[in-house]
Amino acid sequence: MNASAKPDYSTYPNLTLDEARAAAAQLLALNGAGAPVTDARLLQIERFYRMEARLLDAEDFHRWYELLADDLFYWAPLQENRFRRDKRKPIDAGNMAFFDERKADIAVRIGRLSSNLVWTEDPPTRHVYIISNVEAFETDVAGEIEVHSAFIQYRNRSEHDEASLYGRRRDILRLRDDRLQIARRLILLPQSVLLTKNLTIFF
Amino acid sequence: MRAADFVDSERGHIDRRIFWDKEIYDRELQQIFARCWLFVAHESQLQEPGAFLTTYMGEDSVIVARGDDLGINVFLNSCPHRGNRVCFADSGHSRSFTCNYHGWAFDLEGDLRKMPKIGLYKATPGFRMEEWGLKRARVASYKGLVFASFDAAAPSLDAWLGDFRWYLDAVLDAEEGGTEFLSGGATRSVMNCNWKFPADNFAGDIYHALWTHLGGSEPTLGRHGGVMVENTGSYQVSVNGHGWEFNDSFLGNAATMGDRELLRYMKSRREAITARLGKFRADMWGSVASATIFPNFAFLPGYFTFRTFQPKGPSKTEIHAWTMVPKNMPDDIKDRFRRGSMRTFSPSGILEMDDGENWEHSTRANAGYVTRHQSLCYAMAPAGQLHDETLPGIVHSGQLSDANQRLFYQKWAELMDAESWADVPLSPSTIDRAVAAQ
Repeated sequence: MNASAKPDYSTYPNLTLDEARAAAAQLLALNGAGAPVTDARLLQIERFYRMEARLLDAEDFHRWYELLADDLFYWAPLQENRFRRDKRKPIDAGNMAFFDERKADIAVRIGRLSSNLVWTEDPPTRHVYIISNVEAFETDVAGEIEVHSAFIQYRNRSEHDEASLYGRRRDILRLRDDRLQIARRLILLPQSVLLTKNLTIFF
Repeated sequence: MRAADFVDSERGHIDRRIFWDKEIYDRELQQIFARCWLFVAHESQLQEPGAFLTTYMGEDSVIVARGDDLGINVFLNSCPHRGNRVCFADSGHSRSFTCNYHGWAFDLEGDLRKMPKIGLYKATPGFRMEEWGLKRARVASYKGLVFASFDAAAPSLDAWLGDFRWYLDAVLDAEEGGTEFLSGGATRSVMNCNWKFPADNFAGDIYHALWTHLGGSEPTLGRHGGVMVENTGSYQVSVNGHGWEFNDSFLGNAATMGDRELLRYMKSRREAITARLGKFRADMWGSVASATIFPNFAFLPGYFTFRTFQPKGPSKTEIHAWTMVPKNMPDDIKDRFRRGSMRTFSPSGILEMDDGENWEHSTRANAGYVTRHQSLCYAMAPAGQLHDETLPGIVHSGQLSDANQRLFYQKWAELMDAESWADVPLSPSTIDRAVAAQ
């Protein structure tokens, strides 16, 4: 994925529309119904999240990319202000979103960040990514774990330019040879108007 | 204050105080946003009676609602009793809007219908319900796009858009069956910049793409040689301050979404769109282009992102963005546009993310007293005006120029200084004459 190699992203892992819709439905249905994982497994997951946050803070995007499953569905839907009586689904996979990505799209984004041509990230932004409130549950699929967490993503660049984004994540993590992969991720940002100029970051 | 003193549209010298000064900003709210036709909705967002959304006209919060007569009504979102906001939802379906403070309730026309203990008012000498509705704006639409104006003296929307409509058809009427906004409401984000920087950028600044967007276009266009923009086969057109810069590449903008299926589909439509619009306008459909409808409504052909730059103070702007597609487009292709426009032009978009910091610091630098007393250079004029009677409006050949932006600021200054609309010269609308002659 370096600029000179000119990768062909159309050959990178992707999902069909039906597969993406199924993944979205799975994420929206996650509600901690399964049995809680063992303490040892929970510790493994928390370690994984701490490492993931460190890789992102360090802009080590290529190592982070290796944590993603090939059938990744990565989604940050918009949240509108609606009356409680509104009958529409509050989150709909067909709606506009902040992120609605497959692994190939993540590769494109990393291609941008790795191009050395992104002037607005040079000098670089400084990040602190904090993950908390981790809960993990077994699912119907062996080796797939439902995980809920909360996050703070603080960033600062230049002099006074800073933003704090808070939110929740729902993940499906997959165990492969006792190593964890991110197969599905739902990012719930509670802001209806994003109170910062961009999301030049991963969650 | 004379705005004309801040704008030399002949030489392209723009005084930087217009991007910073609070007094100038307040005058913009009065002279521009309270007067001009402003985009408020796409008709597809309000399909049946009772459908509503809330948005802004300048800093005035408004409700846009489909009435029982199927007309679209726009009225202030502020209760005339004590002033509270009446509707806090971004969109929805309702028969009435009831203020949280004392329960005054308004219908889909904005008329006051009832309030708790209505007898207190019936016993109040001289009180008349009909005097206390929500102030209504004029409403008009062009091929799905709904505009509103709070100025009874403003020219008609058709006169205001003028010959720009001929070009607008390249995105609004390329396919039979009209257009729609994809569902889910606006993607909204905040930039700490003056609203005119993004507005002038979309009116005519493709020049920035060659440098600003080198990184963003690297992964999708890098394989094909980067952003290609030349002054051959390309144009700038301006009508009444509205501006559109474009080339004849048909899908140059769309290519940066990096989705081959999408491009294959667009190519498959080329013949039909050419038959509908003629070659010149068909070539504009998804080309390397950007446009602003004065003052703050902008779009990008190819990505089909439509957005307003909502003023929130001299150095704060909210971007509200939607994706527009032809209604008859296959669902799979609509979804590709949904994701493609998000991945390029949204707060997470690989191209939009390159822009924000430029506009923020173009604004912020003017905190410096000496800095803000400098001029900015909008002088680029490599080619002259093109006089081609088949192309309406003020047309310059070559999309790399500041021509549209100079005309944007000329209109800005005229409106800022105008006592009335009689002082605002409008371009004659030649396409209406052509239609009438048929």
